[in-house]
Amino acid sequence: MSKPVAATKRRKTFGQWCKSMRGQQIICTVTFLILPLLLLFTFTYLPFFKMVEFSFFDMRYIGRRIFVGLENYIDVFTRDDCFRALLLSLYYMAGSVVQMALALLFATILSFKVKGSKFFRGALYFPCLICGIAVGFIFKFFFTHGFVLDTLLSWVGFDVDTLPYWLRDESINNIVLVACSIWKYVGQNIVMFIGAIASVDSTLYEAAEIDGANAWHKFKDIILPSIRTIVVLNLIISVSGALSAFEMPYVVTGGGFGTSTYFVIMDKLAHTDQKVGLASAMAIVLLALIMIVTFAQKAAEKWLNEREDRTPRARRKTDPNTAAQAASARPAHAE
Amino acid sequence: MKKALALTLAAAMSASLLAGCSGGTTSSGETESTLPAYNELTVGEDYTDLTADLKIISHRTDLIEDGTFQGYVDTFQQMYPNISISYEGITDYANDMTTRLTSNDWGDICMIPTTIPLPELGDYFYAMCDLSAIQDTYNFADNRAYDGKVYGIPSTGNAQGIVYNKAVFEAAGITELPKTPTEFLDDLQKIKDYDSSIIPLYTNYAAGWTMSAWDAYIGGGATGDGSWMNITMPQTHDPFAPGVPTGDSESGPYAVYNILYEAVKRGLTEADPTTTDWEGSKPMINNGEIATMVLGSWAIVQMQDAGEHADDIGYMPFPISVDGVQYASAGADYCYGINKNSSDDNKIAAMLYIKWLSESSNFSYDQGGIPVLKDQEYPETLAAFDGIELIADTAAPSESADLATNVQRDAELMLNADQTHVMRIVEAAINGDETMDDIVADWNEAWNEAVDANAPEGGAVTGTGEDAEG
Repeated sequence: MSKPVAATKRRKTFGQWCKSMRGQQIICTVTFLILPLLLLFTFTYLPFFKMVEFSFFDMRYIGRRIFVGLENYIDVFTRDDCFRALLLSLYYMAGSVVQMALALLFATILSFKVKGSKFFRGALYFPCLICGIAVGFIFKFFFTHGFVLDTLLSWVGFDVDTLPYWLRDESINNIVLVACSIWKYVGQNIVMFIGAIASVDSTLYEAAEIDGANAWHKFKDIILPSIRTIVVLNLIISVSGALSAFEMPYVVTGGGFGTSTYFVIMDKLAHTDQKVGLASAMAIVLLALIMIVTFAQKAAEKWLNEREDRTPRARRKTDPNTAAQAASARPAHAE
Repeated sequence: MKKALALTLAAAMSASLLAGCSGGTTSSGETESTLPAYNELTVGEDYTDLTADLKIISHRTDLIEDGTFQGYVDTFQQMYPNISISYEGITDYANDMTTRLTSNDWGDICMIPTTIPLPELGDYFYAMCDLSAIQDTYNFADNRAYDGKVYGIPSTGNAQGIVYNKAVFEAAGITELPKTPTEFLDDLQKIKDYDSSIIPLYTNYAAGWTMSAWDAYIGGGATGDGSWMNITMPQTHDPFAPGVPTGDSESGPYAVYNILYEAVKRGLTEADPTTTDWEGSKPMINNGEIATMVLGSWAIVQMQDAGEHADDIGYMPFPISVDGVQYASAGADYCYGINKNSSDDNKIAAMLYIKWLSESSNFSYDQGGIPVLKDQEYPETLAAFDGIELIADTAAPSESADLATNVQRDAELMLNADQTHVMRIVEAAINGDETMDDIVADWNEAWNEAVDANAPEGGAVTGTGEDAEG
């Protein structure tokens, strides 16, 4: 079909084409790409398209399916539990801001010559390597009344009897769960930030030091502008992660005591109530939400960029600074 | 050239997609006549030279891990040396197994998940024999049967009662087992007064599935009516209202859930349900740190084995009486089903193994369950059930066989499968933001809607509730 057409245009037989430089390149590309693309397709796109299809049916995982059109979507918007659960995401979004700040702090400290920085990097990254389910169980015992946390607090003078039930008390249990999430995922951000900070030209620090800049100035005027793309990327990932928070509430509290996030409800509807169509519709609504949030964030970022470019302050900056900013900004624009 | 590349890729992918899809649906007809029926097989004599490789998926991860099942396999292999059997355990059984059934080659034998409506059993499982052939000799033979065909053989039977620590009851001065919710709650209070470090009723809230055990008590045990659960309830409005269907608020589904609500509210359960620990609860009840747990009779043996005080573990009927008579729900545990896509040899081997397990292995007795065969011996642990009428939930007639499942699903109250509604009771009682009546009002609303949506044509929906509430 298409291949022979291409071959005749070049007035070569297919065999010759295969041997040519261009042909070899393409054959290599195709053979190397076909496997990952196939995997990507079978395990990401195919299930996704199936899910879109499912969302229009009233169905269980097995058994007969009835086409219901948009009814599932209408249900998602009219049920009161779905969107109320999204309010819980606000906790996780606030958490992701804290997480970013912590990650930036640690990454900056660990990027400079600190004693045992390799050890601390490893230690901070370690939670990311543990399976989320295991982390959940660890925290369940950690927060059990009179167990680890309460014992630690009693050593510093708290009275165990006055301490709250960390996972039962609905005024704090979501905050506790968010804290667990931060503990687990902060290492990932730190590693990415350390990588980004490492690419900052070190002569800039020297130049800044000669000009009398302290650590805060260096962070604010050199590091932060240089790694801004990475920070924004991480923020987007964290916010979409916040909307789809699942592991901690599912494992630690099982969604009880007002900790059912959107995902936990979706899981219950899909697996115990076997309302697969409704759960699929929920997933697609969430996808749309995440996309909206991402676009909004991108737009805001772009707007900020443009505004900064227009302000005279940017022009007044010292040469190396602007150069570094331009250098770090370039790969982002190429995307 | 890029276009050509894209086209080839797209073509290759759609080809693989088609290939992937075509394997899915093979609707086989009625070709099972060549195999002997389950009841015609004689274990130990027929097919002793049969070679097969069986894979069994089970919910009893504990028995797989401690080698109990391997012991049964070894004994079986003395008769059938060429049949090899491997077990796979799933912890979150009902959910995972339902999903795995969508593929055709999950294995040969599994415990049939209750999420599959009875009319659809034939889509996944092999019909082992006619119901009439084993109905007279097997307990609960109709549990997983449809249209006169048996798709599942009960692995064991459960009586629904309460596991309790006899020593604690004695020490707290309780001489007679409670017969009504009020007596039960009073007894829990006595235990708390006797020693406040003992947890009178452990909810096992955190494990989740342990909470869905409460649903098992709202059938025959709470109503004295075997047809309630599968036939009447899915056609009844307001089934969770007080006094439905018995006319007495000390019995019926409401009374069952209200025991939990009141116990939590009066502080007769553990202080922090979110951090309960299932494995840890077993030695605790064995040592007398927990007085009672609401679990099926399958749990007795596990509690006895968890420590040195096996003799202290007792099992009592659920404290509900209908018109002064105490009933207990009894029913099949999970039933063995055979994959209808297995090879003929594997099907025969699977039937032989299942038949041996249920008739000759003593599995049910060892596990403290109600025997599979009617003439088998009851285990000692069920001694307290002497004189208590065991009521098995009657299966619905074929034409409305999936009614109960459909109503529960539409109402999002999957009884015996989903725990969130029972967890809600605990949460409400602790937070104090909902009364039991608020909760059942919610349930009734969803239930009524589902009943109307699923009402069989011409079938009359009974409306109770209002008059009984009084």
